[in-house]
Amino acid sequence: MIEAVDGFFSYISAVGPSKLLRIFWFFVFFEFARFFIFELTVLIIWKLREPQRKERYANARRRLFIERPLVSVIVPGKNEGKHIYKLANSLKEQSYTNFEFIVIDDGSDDDTERICKSLQKNGLIDLFLRNDVRGGKASAANLGYRFSKGKIVVHLDADCSYDSDAIEKIIIPFYLDDAIGAVGGNILVRNYKDSLCATLQAIEYSDTISVGRITSSYLGIYRLVSGAFGAFKREALDRVGGWDIGPGLDGDITVKLRKLGYLIVFEPDAVCQTSVPETFRKLVKQRLRWDKSIIRFRVRKHRDVFYPNATFRFSNFVSSAENITYNLLLNIKWWIYLVDMVVNYTSLLAFVFPFNILLYTANNFLKFMVFSLFRKRKNASIVYFIPYLPLMVIYFGFYLRLVRSVAYVQEFFFKRSYKDSWNPAKSSNHAKKLGI
Amino acid sequence: MEKTLANNKVEFHDNVLTCFGKTFFYFESFSSLKIDDLEKYDAIIIDAFDIEFTRIIIKKFRSHAGMEFYLKPLFLINNKATEDPYIKELSDGIIISFDQIPETINDINQINMKITRLETSPSSSFEIQVFKKALNYMFTREINTLKPITDINSTIGYCYPVLSVNFDAFEEGKVLEILEWAEKEHLIWPDFQDRVYLCSNCKGGHLSFREICPNCDSANMRSEDLVHHFPCGYIGAISDFKNNIDTVLNCPKCSKNLRHIGVDYDKPSVINHCQNCNDVFQDYLVKAKCIQCKTDTDVQFLISKDINLYKLTKKGRNSAVGGIYTSDYELNHEIAGTLDFKTFSTMMHYEQERTKANVTLTSNLVVFYFENIFDLYKIVSKSKEKSLLGEFVTIIRDNITPADFICINNPSIISICVNDVAFENANLMVLKITDMIEELVRDNFEKFEIAVVSHVALLSKSQSFDKQIQTIIKELVEKT
Repeated sequence: MIEAVDGFFSYISAVGPSKLLRIFWFFVFFEFARFFIFELTVLIIWKLREPQRKERYANARRRLFIERPLVSVIVPGKNEGKHIYKLANSLKEQSYTNFEFIVIDDGSDDDTERICKSLQKNGLIDLFLRNDVRGGKASAANLGYRFSKGKIVVHLDADCSYDSDAIEKIIIPFYLDDAIGAVGGNILVRNYKDSLCATLQAIEYSDTISVGRITSSYLGIYRLVSGAFGAFKREALDRVGGWDIGPGLDGDITVKLRKLGYLIVFEPDAVCQTSVPETFRKLVKQRLRWDKSIIRFRVRKHRDVFYPNATFRFSNFVSSAENITYNLLLNIKWWIYLVDMVVNYTSLLAFVFPFNILLYTANNFLKFMVFSLFRKRKNASIVYFIPYLPLMVIYFGFYLRLVRSVAYVQEFFFKRSYKDSWNPAKSSNHAKKLGI
Repeated sequence: MEKTLANNKVEFHDNVLTCFGKTFFYFESFSSLKIDDLEKYDAIIIDAFDIEFTRIIIKKFRSHAGMEFYLKPLFLINNKATEDPYIKELSDGIIISFDQIPETINDINQINMKITRLETSPSSSFEIQVFKKALNYMFTREINTLKPITDINSTIGYCYPVLSVNFDAFEEGKVLEILEWAEKEHLIWPDFQDRVYLCSNCKGGHLSFREICPNCDSANMRSEDLVHHFPCGYIGAISDFKNNIDTVLNCPKCSKNLRHIGVDYDKPSVINHCQNCNDVFQDYLVKAKCIQCKTDTDVQFLISKDINLYKLTKKGRNSAVGGIYTSDYELNHEIAGTLDFKTFSTMMHYEQERTKANVTLTSNLVVFYFENIFDLYKIVSKSKEKSLLGEFVTIIRDNITPADFICINNPSIISICVNDVAFENANLMVLKITDMIEELVRDNFEKFEIAVVSHVALLSKSQSFDKQIQTIIKELVEKT
């Protein structure tokens, strides 16, 4: 064992930098350069500008409380009754109080109707709407939005809970810039202690989602206002006509708003906690759905962002291009890299793979530690997550990559998202026919 | 006017008819004549040319406090008003002409004969007084049921003519209270017919049910279908899809025509708009406005009352001639070692929980029904009733353990909870108690045989105690 480790390190020192770069180009040029160096640079600039941002933020908050607009909090869902009481109570604690709470029951077949009617009667829900026949998440959200009265519409998921100032924090950005059409909230993993799968997702959320969205928002290429916690200007929703059929409707509406010229920003201080899938099997199901939407929406439905027409915007081009490049193309490239290694460096595989794992693990540690300095909210001490960091190589590098590859194949060749039971067939069939 | 009718059998003179020695007063119009002046007549004949007139006259007699008035035989002539079930119920027959008067003589004699059998001791309470009147009437007319009839004049929409006649129309709620009391006293058994909802304020049943806005209580609402357009996911009121040019529905989001329900759109629900406050909601409130007192009440707060057809029990039938013996709630305080029914019921609920928690435990519910105890009470003076029951309780107490408890439901029913004793042993114990009570009565009241009926049941773990004991008592009383 000791001999093998000695041999491994002697080999590294003997190979030389140019050959190392040739073997590990994928890591050096994409993973390390894009996801560490580039993001770190942006984060540093973002941090340096914090004092100015704070002043603007304070002004925006003042304007918000002078105007005190009505905010419509809409919660569409099916069979979510069990979560609604908790959610209603968490909303009662909000620092911003001028909001109407609308729950839309999308054809639930459990106690949801009974629970929500009781909560409405007791004043915990302002408006309860029910579709006796399930229409899908988009139609439920559209129903809530149609009968809401607020100047700003906040879309929540029923199974999430919110910081007591979450509503206030997510609507302040609308007073920073009139061009802002939507604001995405910061999502933390609530059940990170419940299983290994949930813990790994918590690390992923804090890196890729929280920190990743700070940088993309700062660069103006933020592309996904999460359905779990997102705020929309009514005027902007009116212009796009609300949500289109999913799955992936939150990413879709973000692109639609971007195409109309609205700015989309991420608000790291507006915190929502969600429960993530606790088993890898459930996670696969969720991620297959998420990943298919890249093909369905970015590559197909919104491919016009790449066309040099009258509505062309460089930021939209970069936003979609970056998303497609780093998720879709690099995923394909990763398989090419794998083949490259197997074909050209067969004899070195015993060295290449451990070294790759070593590199990625070191990178993960470095990223997690350094980025922690920029994270505004953490759901636990970083020490808690350290023992799990070595597993992120397998989680990110193999598990998620494999799921993503399967999703891309399924959607690209078979348009499987239109068959997803997440959305009722009656509307998916039309969406497929119309190519949306 | 004076004339002789029906083969010289009926003589008619100044509204007074005479036939076979019986005198009849013929009521044909409102007159200054007071009802009290009519005591001397054997029967009254009312000209039922008008329903209102007939009702008023009948009510004057039947609501009278004096037995000689409220039990007076009343016959109707002129069939116009006889369609009214209220009048029908409270009259003793219809004659086509005075020639038929001789045919009523037998009925009058029957009624008068039965009147002589009635018990006439003063009633101890209002309920007893009113119900005794009804029982007396039913006994003399051989009626065994109190049948509800729909009545527009009654505030609850129903009336029991024999009882209701004692009250004004707006007091019909009191009739239900008396019936509930009588049911509790096992004088009558209910048979469900209908259910009415009454105003929580005045107990009136004339209610106007309205769908109203939950925000402002206005009934001025507009209801619309919700339409869901499948291809674009838009969903809104159908008016969103209408245009001013044609009848085609167009989606306001994607401008497409809606062609085929179920294929490209559906109507998953409805939405209501309040025209008064502009509020939007799916579920309107239903409130009931009382026409009588104008109170607007949520339907959930209305008082629900069952309208039953009541059959007289044996106790009820006997009460007309034997008097009404009611449960004396003070008995429990005066007879040591007994509980009132409410406390007994609560303890039995605990007992049920105890036996549920430990499957090895069993409890027995024993009910004694002393079928003819009222005949015995008539023999002993009122002051001795409690001593007699006290003696029964002592016998029972001597045969059960100190942990068992006794309840005097009413003077004819005693219930016991026998804990942790096998069912067979409980039965043996009941037989022993029955023998001892029968012996006690035989020894002390010469030739009187008390009829003791009993029932032993395992305390149910699934059925509610109240329901279980109710069923047992019903079976015992009906069996006799």
